[in-house]
Amino acid sequence: MKAWWIRPGVRVLAALLLPLLVPAIITALIWALPGDPAEIICPPSTCGGTSELAARWHLDQGPWSFFTRWVSEALTGEFGMSWRLEQGLPVAALLVESIPVTVKLVLLALVPIVLGVVGAATGIIPQRADGVFATVGLVPALVFALLGSAAVVVKFGASAFSEDANLWRLGIGAVVLGMSDGAFASAVSGVRSVFSAERNQRYVGIAILRGERPLANMLPNVAPALAGQMRARILHLLSGAVVVEVVLGLTGVGDLLWSGTLLQDFGVVLAAATTFACLSAVLLLLQAAVEVGVALHVRRAPPVADAMLAGGG
Amino acid sequence: MSRQLAAIAAAITMLGLVMLALTAPAHLSDAQRELAFAGPFAGSKPDGSPLAGVAPFGADQLGRSLLQYAQQGAAVVIGPAIAAGFFVAVLSVVGGLMRCVGDQRVDAAIQGFGEIVGALPRMVVILVAALLIPSNSRGLLPLALVWAVLAAPGAMDEAAAVAERLGGARFVEALRAHGFSWSRVFLYHIVALNLRPVVVRQGAEVLLQVTFLELGLSYLAVQKDQSSFTHSDSLKSWADLLYMGYTSIGLGMPTSHALVLGLALVGLVTLMAKATTTMVRAR
Repeated sequence: MKAWWIRPGVRVLAALLLPLLVPAIITALIWALPGDPAEIICPPSTCGGTSELAARWHLDQGPWSFFTRWVSEALTGEFGMSWRLEQGLPVAALLVESIPVTVKLVLLALVPIVLGVVGAATGIIPQRADGVFATVGLVPALVFALLGSAAVVVKFGASAFSEDANLWRLGIGAVVLGMSDGAFASAVSGVRSVFSAERNQRYVGIAILRGERPLANMLPNVAPALAGQMRARILHLLSGAVVVEVVLGLTGVGDLLWSGTLLQDFGVVLAAATTFACLSAVLLLLQAAVEVGVALHVRRAPPVADAMLAGGG
Repeated sequence: MSRQLAAIAAAITMLGLVMLALTAPAHLSDAQRELAFAGPFAGSKPDGSPLAGVAPFGADQLGRSLLQYAQQGAAVVIGPAIAAGFFVAVLSVVGGLMRCVGDQRVDAAIQGFGEIVGALPRMVVILVAALLIPSNSRGLLPLALVWAVLAAPGAMDEAAAVAERLGGARFVEALRAHGFSWSRVFLYHIVALNLRPVVVRQGAEVLLQVTFLELGLSYLAVQKDQSSFTHSDSLKSWADLLYMGYTSIGLGMPTSHALVLGLALVGLVTLMAKATTTMVRAR
Protein backbone atom coordinates (compact mmCIF):
# COMPACT_ATOMS: atom_id res chain seq x y z
CA MET A 1 0.00 0.00 0.00
CA LYS A 2 1.35 3.41 -0.96
CA ALA A 3 2.15 5.99 1.74
CA TRP A 4 -0.73 8.46 2.23
CA TRP A 5 1.45 11.50 1.56
CA ILE A 6 2.62 10.48 -1.94
CA ARG A 7 -0.47 11.66 -3.81
CA PRO A 8 -0.70 15.12 -2.13
CA GLY A 9 3.09 15.37 -2.39
CA VAL A 10 2.92 14.86 -6.16
CA ARG A 11 0.22 17.53 -6.37
CA VAL A 12 2.31 20.03 -4.40
CA LEU A 13 5.27 19.29 -6.66
CA ALA A 14 3.11 19.77 -9.77
CA ALA A 15 1.73 23.02 -8.30
CA LEU A 16 5.25 24.35 -7.81
CA LEU A 17 6.40 23.29 -11.27
CA LEU A 18 3.39 24.42 -13.28
CA PRO A 19 3.94 28.22 -13.06
CA LEU A 20 7.51 27.62 -14.26
CA LEU A 21 6.70 25.02 -16.87
CA VAL A 22 4.18 27.14 -18.76
CA PRO A 23 6.45 30.18 -19.36
CA ALA A 24 9.30 27.78 -20.16
CA ILE A 25 7.24 26.12 -22.90
CA ILE A 26 6.07 29.44 -24.32
CA THR A 27 9.63 30.80 -24.29
CA ALA A 28 10.75 27.70 -26.17
CA LEU A 29 7.92 28.29 -28.67
CA ILE A 30 9.02 31.89 -29.23
CA TRP A 31 12.47 30.68 -30.25
CA ALA A 32 11.06 27.68 -32.15
CA LEU A 33 9.14 29.91 -34.55
CA PRO A 34 10.91 30.79 -37.79
CA GLY A 35 12.84 34.08 -37.63
CA ASP A 36 14.27 36.13 -34.81
CA PRO A 37 11.90 36.85 -31.85
CA ALA A 38 12.65 40.56 -32.04
CA GLU A 39 11.54 40.59 -35.67
CA ILE A 40 8.12 39.33 -34.60
CA ILE A 41 7.62 42.54 -32.61
CA CYS A 42 9.39 44.85 -34.98
CA PRO A 43 9.89 43.50 -38.51
CA PRO A 44 12.97 45.24 -40.01
CA SER A 45 11.04 45.84 -43.25
CA THR A 46 8.50 48.05 -41.50
CA CYS A 47 10.27 49.46 -38.46
CA GLY A 48 13.78 50.45 -37.51
CA GLY A 49 15.55 49.81 -34.22
CA THR A 50 14.87 46.08 -34.05
CA SER A 51 18.18 45.38 -32.28
CA GLU A 52 17.59 48.14 -29.68
CA LEU A 53 14.14 46.74 -28.98
CA ALA A 54 15.57 43.22 -28.65
CA ALA A 55 18.12 44.46 -26.12
CA ARG A 56 15.52 46.40 -24.11
CA TRP A 57 13.16 43.42 -23.92
CA HIS A 58 15.94 40.88 -23.22
CA LEU A 59 15.41 39.04 -26.48
CA ASP A 60 19.02 39.35 -27.63
CA GLN A 61 20.70 36.85 -25.30
CA GLY A 62 18.84 33.67 -26.07
CA PRO A 63 15.85 31.84 -24.55
CA TRP A 64 17.44 30.90 -21.20
CA SER A 65 18.40 34.47 -20.40
CA PHE A 66 14.93 35.70 -21.45
CA PHE A 67 13.18 33.03 -19.37
CA THR A 68 15.19 33.57 -16.18
CA ARG A 69 14.80 37.34 -16.39
CA TRP A 70 11.09 37.07 -17.10
CA VAL A 71 10.51 34.70 -14.17
CA SER A 72 12.58 36.77 -11.74
CA GLU A 73 10.69 39.94 -12.78
CA ALA A 74 7.34 38.14 -12.65
CA LEU A 75 8.05 37.22 -9.02
CA THR A 76 8.18 40.95 -8.29
CA GLY A 77 4.94 41.62 -10.21
CA GLU A 78 6.60 42.78 -13.45
CA PHE A 79 5.34 40.89 -16.49
CA GLY A 80 7.09 42.87 -19.20
CA MET A 81 5.49 44.87 -21.99
CA SER A 82 2.80 44.06 -24.51
CA TRP A 83 4.40 43.32 -27.88
CA ARG A 84 1.49 44.08 -30.17
CA LEU A 85 -1.91 44.24 -28.44
CA GLU A 86 -1.21 47.45 -26.50
CA GLN A 87 2.35 47.93 -27.69
CA GLY A 88 4.63 49.22 -24.95
CA LEU A 89 2.00 49.06 -22.20
CA PRO A 90 2.94 47.01 -19.08
CA VAL A 91 1.20 43.63 -19.18
CA ALA A 92 0.80 43.80 -15.40
CA ALA A 93 -1.62 46.72 -15.87
CA LEU A 94 -3.66 44.67 -18.35
CA LEU A 95 -3.70 41.74 -15.92
CA VAL A 96 -4.78 43.93 -12.99
CA GLU A 97 -7.79 45.02 -15.05
CA SER A 98 -8.71 41.58 -16.31
CA ILE A 99 -8.09 39.16 -13.41
CA PRO A 100 -10.99 40.46 -11.24
CA VAL A 101 -13.43 40.00 -14.15
CA THR A 102 -12.41 36.36 -14.66
CA VAL A 103 -12.41 35.62 -10.94
CA LYS A 104 -15.91 37.11 -10.57
CA LEU A 105 -17.15 35.18 -13.60
CA VAL A 106 -15.76 31.85 -12.39
CA LEU A 107 -16.94 32.36 -8.80
CA LEU A 108 -20.46 33.22 -10.00
CA ALA A 109 -20.41 30.22 -12.35
CA LEU A 110 -19.49 28.06 -9.38
CA VAL A 111 -22.76 28.96 -7.61
CA PRO A 112 -25.01 26.65 -9.71
CA ILE A 113 -22.34 23.95 -9.65
CA VAL A 114 -22.03 24.04 -5.85
CA LEU A 115 -25.83 23.98 -5.56
CA GLY A 116 -25.86 20.95 -7.87
CA VAL A 117 -23.17 19.24 -5.80
CA VAL A 118 -25.09 19.86 -2.56
CA GLY A 119 -28.36 18.80 -4.18
CA ALA A 120 -26.84 15.56 -5.48
CA ALA A 121 -25.06 14.76 -2.19
CA THR A 122 -28.20 15.28 -0.11
CA GLY A 123 -30.52 13.67 -2.63
CA ILE A 124 -32.58 16.87 -3.05
CA ILE A 125 -32.03 16.67 -6.81
CA PRO A 126 -33.75 13.47 -7.96
CA GLN A 127 -31.86 11.09 -10.24
CA ARG A 128 -34.57 11.31 -12.90
CA ALA A 129 -33.58 14.96 -13.45
CA ASP A 130 -30.11 13.90 -14.63
CA GLY A 131 -31.38 13.30 -18.16
CA VAL A 132 -32.68 16.87 -18.39
CA PHE A 133 -29.38 18.31 -17.12
CA ALA A 134 -27.40 16.11 -19.50
CA THR A 135 -29.50 17.31 -22.44
CA VAL A 136 -29.03 20.98 -21.46
CA GLY A 137 -25.32 20.26 -20.99
CA LEU A 138 -25.01 19.10 -24.59
CA VAL A 139 -25.40 22.70 -25.77
CA PRO A 140 -21.95 24.23 -26.32
CA ALA A 141 -20.96 27.34 -24.38
CA LEU A 142 -20.61 29.24 -27.65
CA VAL A 143 -24.27 28.80 -28.60
CA PHE A 144 -25.56 29.78 -25.14
CA ALA A 145 -23.13 32.69 -24.99
CA LEU A 146 -24.13 34.16 -28.31
CA LEU A 147 -27.80 33.85 -27.44
CA GLY A 148 -27.00 35.60 -24.14
CA SER A 149 -25.06 38.29 -25.94
CA ALA A 150 -28.00 38.81 -28.30
CA ALA A 151 -30.35 39.08 -25.32
CA VAL A 152 -28.18 41.85 -23.81
CA VAL A 153 -28.09 43.74 -27.11
CA VAL A 154 -31.86 43.44 -27.49
CA LYS A 155 -32.47 44.57 -23.90
CA PHE A 156 -30.02 47.46 -23.77
CA GLY A 157 -29.82 48.53 -27.41
CA ALA A 158 -27.39 51.40 -27.89
CA SER A 159 -26.28 51.33 -24.25
CA ALA A 160 -25.17 47.69 -24.48
CA PHE A 161 -21.83 48.54 -22.87
CA SER A 162 -23.23 50.51 -19.93
CA GLU A 163 -22.61 49.57 -16.30
CA ASP A 164 -25.96 47.77 -16.04
CA ALA A 165 -25.39 45.88 -19.28
CA ASN A 166 -21.97 44.74 -18.04
CA LEU A 167 -23.57 43.35 -14.89
CA TRP A 168 -26.07 41.48 -17.05
CA ARG A 169 -23.22 40.17 -19.18
CA LEU A 170 -21.41 38.89 -16.12
CA GLY A 171 -24.54 37.18 -14.78
CA ILE A 172 -25.41 35.64 -18.14
CA GLY A 173 -21.80 34.57 -18.61
CA ALA A 174 -21.81 32.84 -15.23
CA VAL A 175 -25.05 30.97 -16.03
CA VAL A 176 -23.72 29.99 -19.46
CA LEU A 177 -20.42 28.81 -18.02
CA GLY A 178 -22.09 26.93 -15.18
CA MET A 179 -24.69 25.14 -17.28
CA SER A 180 -23.24 24.54 -20.76
CA ASP A 181 -20.73 21.95 -21.99
CA GLY A 182 -22.03 19.55 -19.34
CA ALA A 183 -20.56 21.52 -16.41
CA PHE A 184 -23.64 21.30 -14.19
CA ALA A 185 -24.68 17.83 -15.41
CA SER A 186 -21.21 16.37 -14.76
CA ALA A 187 -21.07 17.94 -11.31
CA VAL A 188 -24.42 16.42 -10.34
CA SER A 189 -23.82 12.98 -11.85
CA GLY A 190 -20.22 12.81 -10.59
CA VAL A 191 -21.14 13.59 -6.99
CA ARG A 192 -24.17 11.29 -7.14
CA SER A 193 -22.04 8.35 -8.31
CA VAL A 194 -19.44 8.97 -5.58
CA PHE A 195 -22.09 9.07 -2.85
CA SER A 196 -24.11 6.14 -4.19
CA ALA A 197 -20.95 3.97 -4.24
CA GLU A 198 -20.11 5.07 -0.70
CA ARG A 199 -23.66 4.44 0.56
CA ASN A 200 -23.16 0.72 -0.16
CA GLN A 201 -20.29 0.51 2.35
CA ARG A 202 -21.01 -1.41 5.54
CA TYR A 203 -20.02 1.43 7.84
CA VAL A 204 -22.81 3.59 6.44
CA GLY A 205 -25.38 0.92 7.26
CA ILE A 206 -23.94 0.63 10.77
CA ALA A 207 -24.03 4.43 11.16
CA ILE A 208 -27.71 4.44 10.21
CA LEU A 209 -28.42 1.66 12.75
CA ARG A 210 -26.68 3.78 15.40
CA GLY A 211 -28.99 6.66 14.56
CA GLU A 212 -26.27 8.77 12.96
CA ARG A 213 -26.62 10.78 9.79
CA PRO A 214 -25.04 8.94 6.85
CA LEU A 215 -23.86 12.18 5.16
CA ALA A 216 -21.72 13.19 8.15
CA ASN A 217 -20.14 9.73 8.17
CA MET A 218 -19.50 9.61 4.44
CA LEU A 219 -18.17 13.14 4.01
CA PRO A 220 -14.61 12.59 5.31
CA ASN A 221 -14.22 9.52 3.13
CA VAL A 222 -15.49 11.10 -0.06
CA ALA A 223 -13.84 14.49 0.53
CA PRO A 224 -10.68 13.72 -1.51
CA ALA A 225 -12.79 12.51 -4.46
CA LEU A 226 -15.05 15.57 -4.18
CA ALA A 227 -12.02 17.87 -4.04
CA GLY A 228 -10.68 16.24 -7.21
CA GLN A 229 -14.02 16.65 -8.94
CA MET A 230 -14.32 20.31 -7.90
CA ARG A 231 -10.82 21.01 -9.18
CA ALA A 232 -11.75 19.46 -12.52
CA ARG A 233 -14.94 21.56 -12.64
CA ILE A 234 -13.10 24.81 -11.90
CA LEU A 235 -10.48 24.01 -14.56
CA HIS A 236 -13.35 23.36 -16.96
CA LEU A 237 -14.81 26.77 -16.08
CA LEU A 238 -11.45 28.50 -16.58
CA SER A 239 -11.13 26.83 -19.97
CA GLY A 240 -14.66 27.81 -20.99
CA ALA A 241 -14.14 31.36 -19.72
CA VAL A 242 -12.08 32.16 -22.84
CA VAL A 243 -15.04 31.61 -25.19
CA VAL A 244 -17.65 33.15 -22.87
CA GLU A 245 -15.60 36.29 -22.17
CA VAL A 246 -14.88 37.00 -25.83
CA VAL A 247 -18.44 36.35 -27.04
CA LEU A 248 -20.04 38.37 -24.24
CA GLY A 249 -17.46 41.14 -24.40
CA LEU A 250 -16.16 40.62 -20.85
CA THR A 251 -12.62 41.95 -20.52
CA GLY A 252 -11.16 39.09 -18.47
CA VAL A 253 -7.93 37.10 -18.71
CA GLY A 254 -9.51 34.77 -21.28
CA ASP A 255 -10.30 37.70 -23.54
CA LEU A 256 -6.77 39.02 -23.02
CA LEU A 257 -5.26 35.63 -23.87
CA TRP A 258 -7.40 35.33 -26.99
CA SER A 259 -6.53 38.83 -28.22
CA GLY A 260 -2.84 38.18 -27.52
CA THR A 261 -2.97 34.89 -29.42
CA LEU A 262 -4.68 36.44 -32.44
CA LEU A 263 -2.01 39.13 -32.68
CA GLN A 264 0.90 36.83 -31.73
CA ASP A 265 1.57 39.08 -28.74
CA PHE A 266 3.86 36.74 -26.83
CA GLY A 267 4.26 39.24 -23.98
CA VAL A 268 0.54 39.06 -23.25
CA VAL A 269 0.21 35.32 -23.94
CA LEU A 270 3.13 34.57 -21.63
CA ALA A 271 1.60 36.50 -18.75
CA ALA A 272 -2.01 35.39 -19.32
CA ALA A 273 -1.13 31.70 -19.69
CA THR A 274 1.09 31.89 -16.59
CA THR A 275 -1.82 33.46 -14.71
CA PHE A 276 -3.98 30.48 -15.67
CA ALA A 277 -1.14 28.17 -14.59
CA CYS A 278 -0.94 29.95 -11.21
CA LEU A 279 -4.70 29.59 -10.72
CA SER A 280 -4.40 25.91 -11.57
CA ALA A 281 -1.49 25.58 -9.14
CA VAL A 282 -3.61 27.11 -6.37
CA LEU A 283 -6.31 24.53 -7.09
CA LEU A 284 -3.74 21.73 -6.91
CA LEU A 285 -2.54 23.05 -3.55
CA LEU A 286 -6.11 23.23 -2.24
CA GLN A 287 -6.77 19.65 -3.33
CA ALA A 288 -3.54 18.52 -1.68
CA ALA A 289 -4.55 20.38 1.51
CA VAL A 290 -7.91 18.57 1.56
CA GLU A 291 -6.18 15.21 1.07
CA VAL A 292 -3.69 15.92 3.86
CA GLY A 293 -6.48 17.15 6.15
CA VAL A 294 -8.54 14.00 5.59
CA ALA A 295 -5.50 11.74 6.04
CA LEU A 296 -4.63 13.45 9.35
CA HIS A 297 -8.27 13.29 10.48
CA VAL A 298 -8.39 9.56 9.75
CA ARG A 299 -5.15 9.00 11.66
CA ARG A 300 -6.39 11.03 14.63
CA ALA A 301 -9.39 8.69 15.05
CA PRO A 302 -8.95 6.09 17.83
CA PRO A 303 -7.62 2.72 16.67
CA VAL A 304 -10.37 0.10 16.46
CA ALA A 305 -8.93 -2.10 19.24
CA ASP A 306 -8.77 0.84 21.71
CA ALA A 307 -12.29 1.91 20.84
CA MET A 308 -13.55 -1.61 21.44
CA LEU A 309 -11.75 -1.75 24.81
CA ALA A 310 -13.20 1.60 25.82
CA GLY A 311 -16.66 0.30 24.94
CA GLY A 312 -16.07 -2.91 26.89
CA GLY A 313 -16.17 -5.01 23.69
CA MET B 1 -33.65 5.29 -27.83
CA SER B 2 -33.06 1.61 -28.67
CA ARG B 3 -29.64 0.47 -29.88
CA GLN B 4 -30.95 -0.30 -33.38
CA LEU B 5 -32.59 3.09 -33.73
CA ALA B 6 -29.43 4.76 -32.41
CA ALA B 7 -27.31 2.85 -34.93
CA ILE B 8 -29.55 4.01 -37.78
CA ALA B 9 -29.48 7.62 -36.53
CA ALA B 10 -25.69 7.53 -36.13
CA ALA B 11 -25.17 6.07 -39.59
CA ILE B 12 -27.52 8.54 -41.30
CA THR B 13 -26.08 11.62 -39.57
CA MET B 14 -22.49 10.49 -40.15
CA LEU B 15 -23.23 9.75 -43.80
CA GLY B 16 -24.96 13.11 -44.20
CA LEU B 17 -22.05 15.04 -42.69
CA VAL B 18 -19.46 13.12 -44.72
CA MET B 19 -21.48 13.74 -47.90
CA LEU B 20 -21.68 17.44 -47.08
CA ALA B 21 -17.91 17.52 -46.60
CA LEU B 22 -17.15 15.56 -49.77
CA THR B 23 -19.35 17.77 -51.93
CA ALA B 24 -17.96 21.04 -50.53
CA PRO B 25 -16.90 23.54 -53.20
CA ALA B 26 -13.35 24.90 -53.00
CA HIS B 27 -14.71 28.47 -53.12
CA LEU B 28 -18.10 30.05 -52.58
CA SER B 29 -19.99 30.78 -55.79
CA ASP B 30 -20.07 34.30 -57.23
CA ALA B 31 -22.44 36.88 -55.81
CA GLN B 32 -26.04 36.77 -57.06
CA ARG B 33 -27.47 40.08 -55.90
CA GLU B 34 -31.06 39.10 -56.67
CA LEU B 35 -30.74 36.34 -54.04
CA ALA B 36 -29.33 38.59 -51.27
CA PHE B 37 -30.71 37.58 -47.85
CA ALA B 38 -33.06 35.09 -49.48
CA GLY B 39 -34.66 32.77 -46.96
CA PRO B 40 -35.21 29.06 -47.45
CA PHE B 41 -38.77 29.62 -48.62
CA ALA B 42 -38.11 32.79 -50.54
CA GLY B 43 -40.58 32.39 -53.38
CA SER B 44 -39.35 32.94 -56.91
CA LYS B 45 -36.94 35.07 -58.91
CA PRO B 46 -38.25 37.65 -61.39
CA ASP B 47 -37.98 35.07 -64.20
CA GLY B 48 -40.27 32.71 -62.27
CA SER B 49 -37.65 30.10 -61.25
CA PRO B 50 -37.88 29.14 -57.57
CA LEU B 51 -35.29 30.72 -55.28
CA ALA B 52 -35.40 27.76 -52.94
CA GLY B 53 -34.05 25.58 -55.75
CA VAL B 54 -30.99 27.81 -56.12
CA ALA B 55 -30.35 28.27 -52.40
CA PRO B 56 -32.32 25.60 -50.53
CA PHE B 57 -31.31 26.91 -47.10
CA GLY B 58 -31.36 30.57 -48.08
CA ALA B 59 -28.54 32.92 -49.06
CA ASP B 60 -26.14 35.43 -47.50
CA GLN B 61 -25.99 39.19 -48.07
CA LEU B 62 -24.33 38.61 -51.45
CA GLY B 63 -26.82 35.98 -52.54
CA ARG B 64 -24.45 33.03 -52.08
CA SER B 65 -26.12 29.79 -51.02
CA LEU B 66 -25.86 28.94 -47.32
CA LEU B 67 -25.67 25.28 -48.34
CA GLN B 68 -22.12 26.01 -49.51
CA TYR B 69 -21.30 27.40 -46.07
CA ALA B 70 -22.63 24.18 -44.52
CA GLN B 71 -20.62 22.05 -46.95
CA GLN B 72 -17.37 23.95 -46.39
CA GLY B 73 -17.92 23.93 -42.62
CA ALA B 74 -18.38 20.15 -42.71
CA ALA B 75 -15.19 19.81 -44.77
CA VAL B 76 -13.29 21.86 -42.18
CA VAL B 77 -14.49 19.93 -39.18
CA ILE B 78 -15.41 16.34 -39.99
CA GLY B 79 -11.99 14.86 -40.86
CA PRO B 80 -10.04 16.28 -37.88
CA ALA B 81 -12.92 15.54 -35.50
CA ILE B 82 -13.07 11.89 -36.57
CA ALA B 83 -9.27 11.64 -36.41
CA ALA B 84 -9.21 13.07 -32.87
CA GLY B 85 -12.05 10.77 -31.76
CA PHE B 86 -10.27 7.76 -33.23
CA PHE B 87 -6.97 8.78 -31.60
CA VAL B 88 -8.60 9.00 -28.16
CA ALA B 89 -10.41 5.70 -28.68
CA VAL B 90 -7.13 3.96 -29.54
CA LEU B 91 -5.38 5.51 -26.52
CA SER B 92 -8.18 4.47 -24.18
CA VAL B 93 -7.92 0.90 -25.53
CA VAL B 94 -4.20 1.07 -24.74
CA GLY B 95 -5.01 2.38 -21.24
CA GLY B 96 -7.43 -0.49 -20.61
CA LEU B 97 -5.06 -3.15 -21.93
CA MET B 98 -2.17 -1.79 -19.87
CA ARG B 99 -4.24 -2.24 -16.73
CA CYS B 100 -4.91 -5.84 -17.77
CA VAL B 101 -1.19 -6.42 -18.28
CA GLY B 102 -0.75 -5.22 -14.69
CA ASP B 103 2.51 -3.28 -15.07
CA GLN B 104 2.58 -0.82 -12.16
CA ARG B 105 5.32 1.37 -13.68
CA VAL B 106 3.25 1.93 -16.82
CA ASP B 107 0.22 2.67 -14.65
CA ALA B 108 2.24 5.19 -12.64
CA ALA B 109 3.59 6.82 -15.81
CA ILE B 110 0.05 7.18 -17.24
CA GLN B 111 -1.18 8.69 -13.96
CA GLY B 112 1.75 11.11 -13.82
CA PHE B 113 1.14 12.18 -17.42
CA GLY B 114 -2.54 12.71 -16.64
CA GLU B 115 -1.74 14.76 -13.55
CA ILE B 116 0.44 17.24 -15.46
CA VAL B 117 -1.62 17.38 -18.67
CA GLY B 118 -4.88 17.62 -16.75
CA ALA B 119 -3.67 20.50 -14.58
CA LEU B 120 -4.05 23.17 -17.27
CA PRO B 121 -7.25 24.57 -18.77
CA ARG B 122 -7.48 22.94 -22.22
CA MET B 123 -8.35 26.13 -24.04
CA VAL B 124 -5.16 27.78 -22.79
CA VAL B 125 -3.06 24.92 -24.16
CA ILE B 126 -4.95 25.07 -27.47
CA LEU B 127 -4.34 28.80 -27.83
CA VAL B 128 -0.65 28.40 -27.08
CA ALA B 129 -0.51 25.57 -29.63
CA ALA B 130 -2.32 27.77 -32.15
CA LEU B 131 0.54 30.26 -31.94
CA LEU B 132 2.83 27.64 -33.49
CA ILE B 133 0.78 27.14 -36.64
CA PRO B 134 2.09 29.29 -39.49
CA SER B 135 -0.59 31.49 -41.02
CA ASN B 136 -0.16 29.90 -44.47
CA SER B 137 -0.83 26.35 -43.23
CA ARG B 138 -3.71 26.83 -40.86
CA GLY B 139 -5.90 23.82 -40.18
CA LEU B 140 -7.96 22.15 -37.50
CA LEU B 141 -6.08 18.82 -37.50
CA PRO B 142 -3.08 19.83 -35.32
CA LEU B 143 -5.35 21.54 -32.79
CA ALA B 144 -7.73 18.56 -32.83
CA LEU B 145 -4.84 16.22 -32.08
CA VAL B 146 -3.61 18.46 -29.25
CA TRP B 147 -7.15 18.39 -27.84
CA ALA B 148 -7.15 14.60 -28.17
CA VAL B 149 -3.87 14.37 -26.25
CA LEU B 150 -5.37 16.55 -23.51
CA ALA B 151 -8.49 14.36 -23.37
CA ALA B 152 -6.53 11.09 -23.51
CA PRO B 153 -5.51 10.72 -19.82
CA GLY B 154 -9.14 10.85 -18.64
CA ALA B 155 -10.22 8.39 -21.32
CA MET B 156 -7.34 6.02 -20.53
CA ASP B 157 -8.11 6.25 -16.83
CA GLU B 158 -11.77 5.37 -17.38
CA ALA B 159 -10.92 2.44 -19.63
CA ALA B 160 -8.36 1.27 -17.07
CA ALA B 161 -11.04 1.44 -14.34
CA VAL B 162 -13.32 -0.77 -16.45
CA ALA B 163 -10.48 -3.24 -16.99
CA GLU B 164 -9.77 -3.23 -13.27
CA ARG B 165 -13.39 -4.04 -12.48
CA LEU B 166 -13.03 -7.06 -14.78
CA GLY B 167 -10.18 -8.27 -12.61
CA GLY B 168 -7.21 -6.89 -14.57
CA ALA B 169 -4.36 -9.36 -14.96
CA ARG B 170 -6.32 -12.11 -13.14
CA PHE B 171 -9.10 -11.90 -15.76
CA VAL B 172 -6.51 -12.45 -18.50
CA GLU B 173 -4.97 -15.36 -16.61
CA ALA B 174 -8.40 -16.96 -16.15
CA LEU B 175 -9.22 -16.72 -19.85
CA ARG B 176 -5.78 -18.01 -20.81
CA ALA B 177 -6.39 -20.97 -18.48
CA HIS B 178 -9.50 -21.70 -20.55
CA GLY B 179 -7.23 -22.05 -23.56
CA PHE B 180 -8.06 -18.79 -25.37
CA SER B 181 -5.32 -17.22 -27.47
CA TRP B 182 -3.80 -13.84 -26.51
CA SER B 183 -5.45 -12.10 -29.44
CA ARG B 184 -8.87 -13.52 -28.57
CA VAL B 185 -8.49 -12.56 -24.91
CA PHE B 186 -7.35 -8.99 -25.58
CA LEU B 187 -9.13 -8.06 -28.77
CA TYR B 188 -12.42 -9.91 -28.30
CA HIS B 189 -13.07 -10.44 -24.61
CA ILE B 190 -11.50 -7.26 -23.27
CA VAL B 191 -11.75 -4.69 -26.07
CA ALA B 192 -14.82 -5.76 -28.04
CA LEU B 193 -16.96 -7.09 -25.21
CA ASN B 194 -15.97 -4.93 -22.25
CA LEU B 195 -14.11 -1.76 -23.24
CA ARG B 196 -16.24 -1.01 -26.29
CA PRO B 197 -18.90 1.19 -24.63
CA VAL B 198 -16.32 3.34 -22.83
CA VAL B 199 -13.93 3.58 -25.75
CA VAL B 200 -16.57 4.52 -28.31
CA ARG B 201 -18.21 7.00 -25.93
CA GLN B 202 -14.89 8.71 -25.27
CA GLY B 203 -14.19 8.88 -29.00
CA ALA B 204 -17.64 10.29 -29.74
CA GLU B 205 -17.30 12.87 -26.96
CA VAL B 206 -13.96 14.07 -28.31
CA LEU B 207 -15.43 14.22 -31.82
CA LEU B 208 -18.17 16.47 -30.46
CA GLN B 209 -15.72 18.57 -28.44
CA VAL B 210 -13.46 19.13 -31.45
CA THR B 211 -16.46 20.25 -33.50
CA PHE B 212 -17.40 22.74 -30.78
CA LEU B 213 -13.75 23.80 -30.48
CA GLU B 214 -13.68 24.65 -34.18
CA LEU B 215 -16.95 26.53 -33.87
CA GLY B 216 -15.63 28.44 -30.87
CA LEU B 217 -12.25 29.35 -32.35
CA SER B 218 -13.73 30.36 -35.71
CA TYR B 219 -16.55 32.35 -34.13
CA LEU B 220 -14.16 34.30 -31.91
CA ALA B 221 -11.96 35.06 -34.93
CA VAL B 222 -14.94 36.14 -37.05
CA GLN B 223 -16.18 38.32 -34.23
CA LYS B 224 -12.83 40.11 -34.04
CA ASP B 225 -12.59 40.26 -37.85
CA GLN B 226 -9.46 38.09 -37.92
CA SER B 227 -8.45 34.92 -39.74
CA SER B 228 -9.37 31.67 -38.02
CA PHE B 229 -6.69 29.28 -36.74
CA THR B 230 -8.67 26.33 -38.04
CA HIS B 231 -9.04 26.96 -41.77
CA SER B 232 -7.83 29.14 -44.61
CA ASP B 233 -9.57 32.41 -45.43
CA SER B 234 -11.05 30.92 -48.60
CA LEU B 235 -13.19 28.52 -46.56
CA LYS B 236 -16.24 29.26 -44.43
CA SER B 237 -16.98 27.56 -41.13
CA TRP B 238 -20.32 26.84 -39.47
CA ALA B 239 -19.29 29.65 -37.13
CA ASP B 240 -19.85 32.07 -40.03
CA LEU B 241 -23.46 30.88 -40.16
CA LEU B 242 -23.86 31.43 -36.43
CA TYR B 243 -22.29 34.88 -36.64
CA MET B 244 -24.47 35.79 -39.61
CA GLY B 245 -27.50 34.56 -37.68
CA TYR B 246 -26.44 36.49 -34.59
CA THR B 247 -26.57 39.73 -36.58
CA SER B 248 -30.26 39.07 -37.17
CA ILE B 249 -30.85 39.40 -33.42
CA GLY B 250 -28.20 41.95 -32.56
CA LEU B 251 -28.41 44.23 -35.59
CA GLY B 252 -31.79 43.34 -37.05
CA MET B 253 -30.35 41.92 -40.29
CA PRO B 254 -32.67 39.51 -42.19
CA THR B 255 -30.41 36.48 -41.56
CA SER B 256 -32.27 34.45 -38.96
CA HIS B 257 -32.34 31.53 -41.42
CA ALA B 258 -28.52 31.34 -41.10
CA LEU B 259 -28.87 30.98 -37.32
CA VAL B 260 -31.41 28.19 -37.77
CA LEU B 261 -29.11 26.35 -40.20
CA GLY B 262 -26.07 26.83 -37.94
CA LEU B 263 -27.91 25.52 -34.90
CA ALA B 264 -29.33 22.62 -36.93
CA LEU B 265 -25.80 21.59 -37.94
CA VAL B 266 -24.66 21.78 -34.31
CA GLY B 267 -27.68 19.64 -33.40
CA LEU B 268 -26.84 17.15 -36.13
CA VAL B 269 -23.31 16.59 -34.82
CA THR B 270 -24.64 16.32 -31.27
CA LEU B 271 -27.21 13.76 -32.40
CA MET B 272 -24.51 11.79 -34.18
CA ALA B 273 -22.33 11.68 -31.06
CA LYS B 274 -25.23 10.77 -28.75
CA ALA B 275 -26.55 8.12 -31.13
CA THR B 276 -23.08 6.57 -31.47
CA THR B 277 -22.75 6.42 -27.69
CA THR B 278 -26.21 4.89 -27.29
CA MET B 279 -25.56 2.41 -30.11
CA VAL B 280 -22.65 0.77 -28.26
CA ARG B 281 -23.88 1.02 -24.67
CA ALA B 282 -23.50 -2.09 -22.54
CA ARG B 283 -26.39 -4.56 -22.54
